[in-house]
Amino acid sequence: MSGVNLKKIVKAYGAVQVVHGIDLNVAEKEFVVLVGPSGCGKSTTLRMIAGLEEITGGDLTIHGKRMNRVAPKDRDVAMVFQNYALYPHLNVADNMAFGLRIRKMPKDQIKTTISDVAEVLGLTEYLERRPADLSGGQRQRVAMGRAIVRHPKVFLFDEPLSNLDAKLRTQMRAEIKRLHNRLGVTSVYVTHDQVEAMTLADRIVVMNNGAIEQIGTPMELFNNPANVFVASFLGSPPMNQVKGTLTETGAKIGDIELKLPYPINGNAGRDVVVGIRPEHVTLAEGPQTTAMPISLDLVEPLGSEALLHARFGEATLVFKAETQGDIEHLSGVTQVHVPGDLVKLFDAETGRALQLGA
Amino acid sequence: MREENTTAEADQPLQSEDSRWVRLFDHFKREWQIYAMLLPTLIWFLVFLYKPMYGLQIAFKDYSIFRGVSGSPWIGLEHFQTLFSNDQFLRAIKNTIQISALNLLFGFPAPIILALMFNEVLNATYKRTAQTIVYLPHFISSVIIAGIVITAFSPTAGIINTVLGWFGIDSIYFLTQPEWFRPIFVGTGIWQEAGFGSIVFLAAIAGVNPSLYESAVVDGANRWQMMWKITIPSILPTILIMLIIRIGNIMEVSFELVILLYQPATYETADVVNTWIYRQGLQSGQYDLAAAAGLFNALVAFVLVMTANTLSRRYSRTSLW
Repeated sequence: MSGVNLKKIVKAYGAVQVVHGIDLNVAEKEFVVLVGPSGCGKSTTLRMIAGLEEITGGDLTIHGKRMNRVAPKDRDVAMVFQNYALYPHLNVADNMAFGLRIRKMPKDQIKTTISDVAEVLGLTEYLERRPADLSGGQRQRVAMGRAIVRHPKVFLFDEPLSNLDAKLRTQMRAEIKRLHNRLGVTSVYVTHDQVEAMTLADRIVVMNNGAIEQIGTPMELFNNPANVFVASFLGSPPMNQVKGTLTETGAKIGDIELKLPYPINGNAGRDVVVGIRPEHVTLAEGPQTTAMPISLDLVEPLGSEALLHARFGEATLVFKAETQGDIEHLSGVTQVHVPGDLVKLFDAETGRALQLGA
Repeated sequence: MREENTTAEADQPLQSEDSRWVRLFDHFKREWQIYAMLLPTLIWFLVFLYKPMYGLQIAFKDYSIFRGVSGSPWIGLEHFQTLFSNDQFLRAIKNTIQISALNLLFGFPAPIILALMFNEVLNATYKRTAQTIVYLPHFISSVIIAGIVITAFSPTAGIINTVLGWFGIDSIYFLTQPEWFRPIFVGTGIWQEAGFGSIVFLAAIAGVNPSLYESAVVDGANRWQMMWKITIPSILPTILIMLIIRIGNIMEVSFELVILLYQPATYETADVVNTWIYRQGLQSGQYDLAAAAGLFNALVAFVLVMTANTLSRRYSRTSLW
């Protein structure tokens, strides 16, 4: 059964259309992440699902019921906001009880529910504290607790981790994932952070300029990006995109020819963008016929591995290499292997993926 | 080793003392423009509020303009004894407190209610027009306000008596009847200041995080619930600060408006401490007695504002200082 269904959803402010007829079906209990750059329409889409923005066109159904004109309170959704939206004058328990009191739940039931959820979120000892007396992570947990206590059919998350520092973000990400596995509630999560999208999502929806670029599981999108935008958005660091021209046997990048292990099928001479994942590039030692010459520009040590920035023909190539506890040996790198079977080809004009080797 | 440590510890405060002065000097050197901007206000305070304090000593002297402040003999608390044995002064204190209490009861909530109502108006044009209309009386001189009130309550041509006449009620000369002075005075104050006073609360409402309302909408709250459960608690610190300031001014009933609206027939309810001081000090030339009354006024205000501030800090974590 469908949890949330968006059919040709349009949002316009006056003459300006910001969401251009998107179609998305979120299955029950599924965790879907909308990801994209600022201004791509992902938050607007989420707010339309919540009922905080009016839908200009199309149909929104939640659990089979059309919701376009249904008030937010009657949609049975709970939302976690970017800045937590905790009531500063209420303590943690009262913040969590807010929605339940509005819905006139009996007092003893409210108490039990809050106690249970606080236990799950590790908030029991903070129930009497006000938001100002909590850390960022604790506030985030209260915001989630407030959503959870209502036992909604759908959870909506609007960049809930973006105000946290990197370490806490990683920790909270894991907590959200665990909670979803435990509660199994349909969830729509908005973020601009591709790492959050990759780690949390059952499926990722990549959005750009108010439209959906691609929908798929994290690994589908990572391995087979539909276009250069998706390829550049997912992966850290992102896929290298190098302009080239197809030849009978491979792709020519400047003076260097990258051999491709599949037939070009009459596409020779076509301008393409060659997509090379940083983790697919390996160091080449000694004189080898398949090695590609590079000119090393910069080494960024990350600990167990390092990011190497190098000139590759006329393009810049960023790739990863193991440090083995030292980066000295990386400074002399002059050639690399770029595996032809792992590179992705995109049409230079449309940016769409080419399926030559498929 | 122990000795070395002790010496080092003993030296430490001296070092930090030095560095504190150096830091302070650096700070002034760096930020002197900011302090220069503060200077006119400081000078204003010194000239108009602190320098006159020198003259307060006449409250404890048998002051004569010929002998001057320093030449007049000390007489201790004699003026205060005179004040508290003066029925008119005691009546003025009672009137001041009663009028201020009414002002606090009706005049203080009025701008808050107005701001909450403006916040609920969705039509921008209507909102702007209504705001302009209610702000306007603030910019009218008290003399004109008093003129409008006198005209409106006139027993012959006033609109109030005209309306009463429609219902067969005889004309009332409101401004000569002591029992009507306080309602008219407090009502006029609300009409004149509620609109302008609402600006502070509107600004506080504008500062409420919009996500709180969105979160409440998703939780199922209606506009009434949002006003009670989000807007009012969110602006409570502002309300408390304004209340503390208001309590500090409790002895300062609008002097001009009282002078303009009262008359001997209504002294019984209208004569406040400031008008009494005006009559005693300026009209009867008893500057020392008036200074004693003024000092008493200021002391009461000081105690009230301190108490309100302490209570507010203790119970709501909000305070002026």
